[in-house]
Amino acid sequence: MTNQTKAGASIHRLGPSRRTVLVGAAAGATTLGFPYISRSYAAESLKFWQFYAPGGGVATQSKWFEDMVKSWNDSHDVKVELVYVPNNAYMDGTKLPTAFASGAGPDLFIISPGDFLRYYNGGVLLDLTPFMEEKAREDFFPGVIANRMVDNKIYGLPMEVEPMAMYYSVDAFNEAGLTEKDIPKTWEELLTVGKKLTNDKRFGVLFETAPGYYQNFTWYPFLWEGGGDIQTKEGKSAFNSPAAVQALKFWQDAVNMGVSPRKPLGGGGWDVVPNLASGYCAMQNVGIWAISQLREGAPNFKYGVFKLPTPPGGKYATVGGGWAFVANAKGKNPKAAGEFCAWALGSMSPDSIERVVDWCTKAKSDMPPRKSALEQGKDAYNKGFLKVFADDIYPGARAEPRVPPPVYKAISDAIQACQLNGQKPEEAAAAASQQIDAFLAGYKGAPIL
Amino acid sequence: MVNDALRSDASAIPAARKAAGFRLSNRQREWIAGYLFVAPDALGLLIFVGAPMLLSLSLGFFSVSGFGAYSFVGLANYRRMLADPLFWQSLRVTVLYIVMLVPALYASGLGLALLIQADTRFNGFVRTLLFMPQTVSLVVVALVWQVLLIDKIGVLNRFTSAVGLGSVSWLGDPHFALIAVVVVSIWFLMGFYMLIFLGGLQDIPKEYYEAAKIDGAGPVASFYLITLPLLRPTSFFVLLVSTVTAVCGSQTFDLVYVMTRGGPANTTSLAIFYVYQQAFLFNEYGYAAAMASVLVVVLMLITVLLFMLTRGGRFTYE
Repeated sequence: MTNQTKAGASIHRLGPSRRTVLVGAAAGATTLGFPYISRSYAAESLKFWQFYAPGGGVATQSKWFEDMVKSWNDSHDVKVELVYVPNNAYMDGTKLPTAFASGAGPDLFIISPGDFLRYYNGGVLLDLTPFMEEKAREDFFPGVIANRMVDNKIYGLPMEVEPMAMYYSVDAFNEAGLTEKDIPKTWEELLTVGKKLTNDKRFGVLFETAPGYYQNFTWYPFLWEGGGDIQTKEGKSAFNSPAAVQALKFWQDAVNMGVSPRKPLGGGGWDVVPNLASGYCAMQNVGIWAISQLREGAPNFKYGVFKLPTPPGGKYATVGGGWAFVANAKGKNPKAAGEFCAWALGSMSPDSIERVVDWCTKAKSDMPPRKSALEQGKDAYNKGFLKVFADDIYPGARAEPRVPPPVYKAISDAIQACQLNGQKPEEAAAAASQQIDAFLAGYKGAPIL
Repeated sequence: MVNDALRSDASAIPAARKAAGFRLSNRQREWIAGYLFVAPDALGLLIFVGAPMLLSLSLGFFSVSGFGAYSFVGLANYRRMLADPLFWQSLRVTVLYIVMLVPALYASGLGLALLIQADTRFNGFVRTLLFMPQTVSLVVVALVWQVLLIDKIGVLNRFTSAVGLGSVSWLGDPHFALIAVVVVSIWFLMGFYMLIFLGGLQDIPKEYYEAAKIDGAGPVASFYLITLPLLRPTSFFVLLVSTVTAVCGSQTFDLVYVMTRGGPANTTSLAIFYVYQQAFLFNEYGYAAAMASVLVVVLMLITVLLFMLTRGGRFTYE
């Protein structure tokens, strides 16, 4: 007691005032006790925004990100810090564009081809070519890297290729007396089989119905299968075509016949567990990622996969989307951010190739964007559903188009008007084409692919 | 030592004031005190509402290409608005939404308040239940209603199918989607308006009803001759606030974003949602700001009109 009094007296006389001690203690507690706050002040680290949060849908995916960042941080002075943004706030949300508009964009982030031009034309994407060796640049499949390139420079390194396909419920097929022989090969057969699978609690086949980049992405193969396209080689709209009308009508028929729902369950048409596995639909138009979704979310669900059916006289096609690492050209350390992207996904080092293989075969279920990764992971692509994708589905894949927002919106409005609002496909295609042409006449950004 | 210094300072101030002939009257002191009390709020309003509004208004005269390159375009954004069919479509949807939502909120708020105005324990419990949606996140509200309204297997569709009405895609059919958004908005908001009406009802002296009863007036006559006239200021407040809420309340964005994304075929694309799309999906910040400015002007006009028609909410009643 005496000692305490003495110590207290000595503090009062010689040391800092009580207020200073309290302020110091509060600052110390803030810094030491709240790691997240103290970390936010550690301005040196590069912030990497993405949506694979710990505890998210598939645990292996967030672990892949964590392992990658740990591996980089263990061997580099400039550290990388993962920042999770909820999926909805990321894909169509305000967080990323607002951050860039206010000059506070992340150093590293991921984007899909559908959003590439918005960020490239906005001048925030860093040229990653100088950070990659020639051999690594050539290791990417040309069709996959093309829509991340402008003027032969690489602005994004794809993590994956995600071709679209049709998934079906084996139990629903059995219940309707259908077998593998009944798997549809044409659009007409898809609707006929879909009709047989439809009952008072279940839809036959599900296509995405929510307007947005994703719906356009899933619809493009149907346009291509009939020989259609968005743009001519001369840079004019190619949308007012029989192929576009046919594809718009196909989705319209599916809804009008009562075979397709107007509203999917869960997160939407990309979400396979609440739709296909729950029994809401018997067939679903979804991408390769659904394999890992079902593996994690519905391990006992019996399903099959088949490639997209074709229209009369058409040629099979699918779309290969996928996300890519990109670096902020206006970030606090673009050089380190570029090095990170190349180190992670674009180097010829065994670790870099293995990382791509792990992401595509273990963390997720995707096709690899690199030749070396396809070779190194060939065991995984020689069995199960990945083999179906590798052998049957992926060979018809075309890269996801990169289009500026006004073009995307014109196409989206045409799909929505036909699919859900009964507009004549001819009128919708003509109106969209007119809007696209009006926009293209004054467009000065990077080429639309 | 310190005390002495303070004492001498304190005595110095009135002396100095006297010397300068500076003395505040009670009225002036009250006036200063009043403004000092209001100052923190006014400052907050100025910084967080006034300044952004001015910036937004200015942004409407610029074209923003990419992320942060501004160029002055004068009235180009406003001219573009006139020729943009999707802008007019979003205004049409907003007007429809207002026309359905505002009267429904008025009727449901007043109706519920009348039903549970008696101060009993049971009514207290019911009031809590009715107000509860207000305490839930709008995203959660939207997700729950999305499941309830889903095609074929949703609770509502099971009911309609059971009674032979068949199944309806409440959120996927352009004929029903906006109605569904309105219904969910009413469910979410009516508890708040019920509370406002309850406050208004409790302000009406009970003696008026007793006197009317003695004079032979029934409940309907009492409602039309006493309740409604004396609720005029409350009604004015409810109409004004619910109209503003229908144009730019948080539910106009959150519910639409989660339940329909503006679809099907833009039939639930309210003006606020279209502004959001232009700003954050298409990077058209200048155009979005111009549209937001137009919405503010429209809201101000509605407010002025309401004030003029009702003499500031007093109507003819003094």
